[in-house]
Amino acid sequence: MPPPTNVKLLLIGNSSVGKSSLLLRFSDETWLPEDEASATIGVDFRVHRLTLRNGKQVKLSIWDTAGQERFRTITASYYRGAQGVVLVYDVSSRESFEALPRWVGEMETYLGTVTEGPVRVVVGNKVDKEFSREVSTAEGRVFAERIGSLFVEASAKTSIGVNEAFTEVVERIIERGVSGSPPQRTDGGQGGVPGGVQLVGGTSQEQEAGGCAC
Amino acid sequence: MSTDLPYAADAEVSLSYDELEVLKLQYEKELAQVHVTVQTKFNYAWGLVKSPMRDHQVEGVRLLQDLYRAEPTRRRECLYYLALGHYKMGNFEEARRFNGLLLEKEPTNMQALSLAQLIEKGVAREGYIGMALVGGAAAVGTILLAGLIRRATRK
Repeated sequence: MPPPTNVKLLLIGNSSVGKSSLLLRFSDETWLPEDEASATIGVDFRVHRLTLRNGKQVKLSIWDTAGQERFRTITASYYRGAQGVVLVYDVSSRESFEALPRWVGEMETYLGTVTEGPVRVVVGNKVDKEFSREVSTAEGRVFAERIGSLFVEASAKTSIGVNEAFTEVVERIIERGVSGSPPQRTDGGQGGVPGGVQLVGGTSQEQEAGGCAC
Repeated sequence: MSTDLPYAADAEVSLSYDELEVLKLQYEKELAQVHVTVQTKFNYAWGLVKSPMRDHQVEGVRLLQDLYRAEPTRRRECLYYLALGHYKMGNFEEARRFNGLLLEKEPTNMQALSLAQLIEKGVAREGYIGMALVGGAAAVGTILLAGLIRRATRK
């Protein structure tokens, strides 16, 4: 049997949109109520093995980043080498949706634009809160199309769309042919990802921005 | 489904020399201007704690302790990185104490729970090494103890 393909995914988006909850639902099939969930400190990490529809084995390294501004320098250092980015917003928070262009901008700084950059999926989380929805499905889809991204609406609470979001981005990565890359390349940084080389410069910009913010 | 082993992302990977240098220069620049922002200090402390060098880790922990005292709004992350720093230095008692304080406030914090497992593993590993050393040290210990007792009884 061939060894599993290594894929690195990154979860980004505003704080409290449910990045960690999506990951917890996907990897452990559980969910923590809002009052028990704590905001991620810097970054968290999980490995998850996935079997695709064609039987292919994939070993996913998923980096869950803190959405809070004060962790921006820390999280930026983890962009390097990501082949897929999961951009998360909360359908019941207009603000989190409107922040997406900024997240896309940051992602492109480190990882390159749509043609050479990572596969992206926009996830509108918390569809279980239909009653307080502030962003329509159509709006979400239009935005995703504009940035050349996949689009899924999901709920970490009810698990709707969660597997789909992760599986689709991984399948797209494999289709693109990243499957051929050995593990050391996916983790090595400098390898096939153009943005990876600029990381130091990027960190420096980030640092200045961080410094001024206070 | 499969969950991974306990893992603390910031414990394993360190920054490159250049990356840490960026954080250090910013810190030193502000230090020269007398006012260091909390953000700059925190970023540098984080970079130091991640370093494989003990001197860096010690300095990172020192800065985090300053921040913990001065910035109540940053306490949770300071506790986490203080625990991480002490864990990396092998100060498992300290690591346990700081991580415990975080867990007191956030009993379901997944990162702290994961770090707690790492710390306990570290303690266990140290225990094994300790036991191996005990055998060798026993002889020396007996001699020292005998000496102490002799001195004590003489008084």
